[in-house]
Amino acid sequence: CLSDLIETFRAQLRDDPDVASAVAAIRALLGFLKQDRGETIQGLRNSLRDAIDTLSRVDSSVAVSSGGELFLRFISLTSLEYSDYSKCKEIMIERGEIFLTKVSLSRNKIAKLCHPFIRDGARILTHAYSRVVLRVLEAAVESKKRFSVYVTESQPDEAGQKMARALRKLNIPVTVILDAAVGYIMEKVDLVLVGAEGVVESGGIINKIGTNQIAVCAKAQNKPFYVVAESFKFVRLFPLNQQDVPDRFKYKADTLKTGQNLTEEHPWIDYTSPSLITLLFTDLGVLTPSAVSDELIKLYL
Amino acid sequence: NPRPSPVLGELMDLIRTEGQRMTAAQPSETTVGNMVRRVLKVIREEYGRLHGRSEESDQQESLHKLLTSGGLSEDFRTPYPSLRANVIEAINEMLTELEGTTDNIAMQALEHIHSNEVIMTIGYSRTVEAFLKEAARKRKFQVIVAECAPFCQGHEMAVRLSKENIETTVMSDAAIFAVMSRVNKVIIGTKTILANGALIAVSGTHTLALAAKHHSTPLIVCAPMFKLSPQFPNEEDSFHKFVSPQEVLPFTEGEILAKINVHCPVFDYVPPELITLFISNIGGNAPSYIYRLMSELYHPDDYEL
Repeated sequence: CLSDLIETFRAQLRDDPDVASAVAAIRALLGFLKQDRGETIQGLRNSLRDAIDTLSRVDSSVAVSSGGELFLRFISLTSLEYSDYSKCKEIMIERGEIFLTKVSLSRNKIAKLCHPFIRDGARILTHAYSRVVLRVLEAAVESKKRFSVYVTESQPDEAGQKMARALRKLNIPVTVILDAAVGYIMEKVDLVLVGAEGVVESGGIINKIGTNQIAVCAKAQNKPFYVVAESFKFVRLFPLNQQDVPDRFKYKADTLKTGQNLTEEHPWIDYTSPSLITLLFTDLGVLTPSAVSDELIKLYL
Repeated sequence: NPRPSPVLGELMDLIRTEGQRMTAAQPSETTVGNMVRRVLKVIREEYGRLHGRSEESDQQESLHKLLTSGGLSEDFRTPYPSLRANVIEAINEMLTELEGTTDNIAMQALEHIHSNEVIMTIGYSRTVEAFLKEAARKRKFQVIVAECAPFCQGHEMAVRLSKENIETTVMSDAAIFAVMSRVNKVIIGTKTILANGALIAVSGTHTLALAAKHHSTPLIVCAPMFKLSPQFPNEEDSFHKFVSPQEVLPFTEGEILAKINVHCPVFDYVPPELITLFISNIGGNAPSYIYRLMSELYHPDDYEL
């Protein structure tokens, strides 16, 4: 039932701080699926929709939403192949486990693709705390490259400090800079490397607030802007500007529940348009922003 | 390779090793690696067809495949007796295609070149030469050739074009920007096309591309598909080939040479934003579409030979 679901989700995030929230959501949903007592696909879909809504109320990030959508799509695709419900459910559970094993390898795949782009002696700028970026930089260190990193402090939660601590543990020279100092530091930097909470259909990304600014500065100074994201973060949104990003992603779940006036609140994420992005590194390969919509079409249509 | 191999995987490994040796011998000749990758893709396709997989099914990684696949990727263990004949036939088809590329590209010339236009080009490219000659049969236009120092291959291009009665002007590379305002189109060839739609072309092309962008003049690249290489420009200097600086500053200038460093790079990197259109044997394409063409020509597992 739903409270168990929330508990499983929360427990995963507690036990393994490195796990992506979308993966935790999918694992929790798979557990929910195993316990479901329904007899029809329709009933299953409805209860899964409720489950996904519940999870979004716990963690309002884009990643949980995209993970949920992907899971729903996975159910639909499997149900199209097998009409017998119990057989279908067996296959779903089996494929779900395979899917989870595959996505646990995705960070390593991305790191392998991305680290050749970091030259010896490079100066990298990154934003806030991203576990994928951390993995990429780890891989670069393992391949004996020397580089230095600038991290933005990333207010309001100072996620940049967390990133800096993690990088210092890897013996990488780190400098934490103010969010306002990005324009100042951009001329010293060789490339910008950020993670993403969600990758939208146009090839743009949704990431911690401040990413758009960094992308604009990078474009102005002709610095490559690289994004690293796993493929389960691809989401079926097509924002044309910042207002188009739904409010349910912009603010934390608790803020949304209180129902107060959102114009007084600071958003937690922003949208970076694809024209500012040079390349995206995903477990499906190195993609140009135009290739992202192709991938989404292949999945959803 | 005529050796009979009952297990296909061995054949592919053999081809891959040969490919690695050849690319290591001359890294700047990317077409060698490209052809090896094409052959590997042909083998995979033929095997897939015999294995009963439909043509529609995607060999590439995709979100869709991630969700629906039941297990691990296939190995190439099942032997099929007709596989060898099929692969050889497919390779022969590929050879015919390769031989016809210049003609295919030249056939599209009339759509792009109109009467009384001023076309600019740089250096000497056989593809561009054929392209312009084909258009000259029906239309009257002028060509300005940048000589492309220090090898000055532009001179040879100008001689060949003028033999076909095309009004040709040769000018130095320094005058490219000055003349650009009078030019309608820039048509160039290239050495390699990279996976993000960028070019590795003869030294001087980046200057030409920037001047064209500044004047909003369309930049058209005529190149056959075998020049498309699945590499990204991750280390911009690793693509470079340097030759003797004798071309830039002859050894007779010994006194100066002792005091300075002289370099003579052969290639230039041109980013995809500066390019308008790629004309290849399969038609015209925008640089942002290159990733799609790549997935049709090569298999992702072969990007790294």
